[in-house]
Amino acid sequence: MDLHLGSYLSWYVPQKPSRLVIHLDRPIALMELVERLKLPPAEIAIAAVNGKLVSLRDALVSDGDRVELHPPNGGG
Amino acid sequence: MAYGINGRILRVDLTQASVNTEFFDDNLYRLYPGGKALAGYLLLRELPPGTDALAPENLLVIANGLLTGAPISASTRFTVAARSPLTGAYGESEAGGFWGPELKMAGYEAIVVSGRAKQPVYISINDDKVELRDARELWGREPEEVQAAIRHELGDKRIRVLQIGIGGENLVRYAALTNELRHFNGRTGMGAVMGSKNLKAIAVRGTGRYLDSAHDAKPIVDLGRALGKRVKEHPQAWDLQVKGTPALVGAFNAAGILPTRNFRQGVFEGADNLKWEAYEKELLTARGTCYACAVRCKREVKVDDRYQVSDAYGGPEYETVEGFGGYCGVGDLQAVAKANELCNRYTLDTISTSVTIAFAMECFEHGLIGLKETDGLDLRFGNAAAMLQAVDLIARREGIGNLLAEGSKRAAEVIGGGAHLFAMQVKGQELPMHDPRGKVSVGLGYAIGEHGADHLYSIHDTLVANPDSIGFKGASPLGVEALPAQQLGSAKARNYAILENWCSFGQVVGLCYFGPAPRSFTQIEEVLTAVRAATGWAMTLADLLQIGERATNLTRAFNVRNGFSRKEDTLPERLFQPLENGPMAGTLISKPEFERTMDELYRLKGWDSKTTVPTRDRLRDLDIEWVADLLGV
Ligand code: SF4
Repeated sequence: MDLHLGSYLSWYVPQKPSRLVIHLDRPIALMELVERLKLPPAEIAIAAVNGKLVSLRDALVSDGDRVELHPPNGGG
Repeated sequence: MAYGINGRILRVDLTQASVNTEFFDDNLYRLYPGGKALAGYLLLRELPPGTDALAPENLLVIANGLLTGAPISASTRFTVAARSPLTGAYGESEAGGFWGPELKMAGYEAIVVSGRAKQPVYISINDDKVELRDARELWGREPEEVQAAIRHELGDKRIRVLQIGIGGENLVRYAALTNELRHFNGRTGMGAVMGSKNLKAIAVRGTGRYLDSAHDAKPIVDLGRALGKRVKEHPQAWDLQVKGTPALVGAFNAAGILPTRNFRQGVFEGADNLKWEAYEKELLTARGTCYACAVRCKREVKVDDRYQVSDAYGGPEYETVEGFGGYCGVGDLQAVAKANELCNRYTLDTISTSVTIAFAMECFEHGLIGLKETDGLDLRFGNAAAMLQAVDLIARREGIGNLLAEGSKRAAEVIGGGAHLFAMQVKGQELPMHDPRGKVSVGLGYAIGEHGADHLYSIHDTLVANPDSIGFKGASPLGVEALPAQQLGSAKARNYAILENWCSFGQVVGLCYFGPAPRSFTQIEEVLTAVRAATGWAMTLADLLQIGERATNLTRAFNVRNGFSRKEDTLPERLFQPLENGPMAGTLISKPEFERTMDELYRLKGWDSKTTVPTRDRLRDLDIEWVADLLGV
């Protein structure tokens, strides 16, 4: 699974990566992945799986998915 | 003097070639402590309604804020204001960089420029020594040469130069000003006002220190140190430094609200080529900053590949990446960087330039203009070469560029045949790269903003939507509620009004949008500490919000006197129509709901919902009853 961590979400993960490739044996809840990576759910404003917006609480992700997580953004 | 460095205003009359210094009374400064407040005050009192924006009678006000140049991060900004040649309304634009702080060191809060010089001049300020100097040799030359020539002529490399390029000289209605070649007062055409006055540049050198005139220097020094240390441990500040504003491309594309092809779409198929990962690989050479700012969010770039992009003019920010990127259908970051370099060289606002070009592209694709009008330029979405040529033509006012230099609203009136539906503008100013269909407060700000569509007029809904987020917690002392980003209604109007006052306060005192809450790099309590330490005034948060609200009322009064009313406080029709693609396809803003929210907003502001004239009661509450007399209410 290809995981993109947008903007400051990288900051929470060791080495601060913008992209992680994660192998999943079985589909898991997106929230489980978020917890595993110790990402703060309150800072995740946008979750998308394969180009579709999903709910952080309900979505399942599988190996081969492209997952994007972004924090709230504004200004610029 | 118990505030800033000094309470002086410099008056420069270019027609008379005279220079005078005026002292600003402490009581007045409390009400109008710089930036938008001071500019609004001066323009409202001194500029007769109906003055032609490009006539010598227009006043160009350049104003620092109370905190501009304080040695703390994100406290660098100054305002340039005048009647706008783009909108006919109050025009203003802030910039960071180094120029504002240098003016403060020279001992001035503001410069008011009136009249028109007989031939090109520049103003040289070296502490108390102010003179007008011949700029005939500099007219028509590029900013990089001009800056070097002025420093050479005056024999000081540390001189800071604020100037216009050919866009300003040629009176492009959205021409910008630049300082240090890479910081811009981009919006509302202040560069054209400067050009109309035959004023090429203002060179400043100051040897004072901000802290010398502060009421109590220590809390400011302590805060500066604390913020310097905080960057690495603050996620948003770290993000701004490492990735910078271009990181927004990925976020908005995923969310389906990346303004694409003139706000028709929310997802751009070429977005991967514009994201910050591509930026880092293809453009980035270094990170830059503004005066005393540890955030270092600015980008330095250089390209020597498909395009040649000079390293002299700084790198594109998000607005520019997307404006010349997906918004014009161009998925080539090097072409985008080239467009940015050209705009910076010519001093054109990148937002209005890109949005006006996209407008022309849509007109071209609909056959409203053809190859005859464009002199053979195939101005279709996605044609990077044509886009770059259009930038050049606009700056020189040649061919189709002469029409597009008028801005999309005026160009649409000339083209006719429904072209106005493609002009994405409010009050004549083009929309920035934020789609209100995904965050409605941005739309309220576009509509009600005194200087036309502006994304920094208030806080974007997303930053305060989640009660557990850093953004919301940082902003909570303001008394806002956590509300969904797409929700309109009275609670949203209330949030908007509070946050607009907070943003307006930042623009008055010279804070950068990336510092204070809800960005929360600088906490609200710390902003209060800085204001109190600088001035000795016992101010509360409510006082700061009132400073912001007072400034907005001054600029609204200016607009009312220039014939503006509710009908100009609106959005382009397209935003009331559905997005065409991506995860937000079908999403629109409901017009009746939007109008109801606007009604509530006028009520909260104490403005008449039809005329938008502020009531005497509200003006009295804001200690500016003289404005009610002026408006006859
Ligand atoms: S945060 Fe960025 S734009 Fe703001 S003052 Fe600092 S370097 Fe300049």
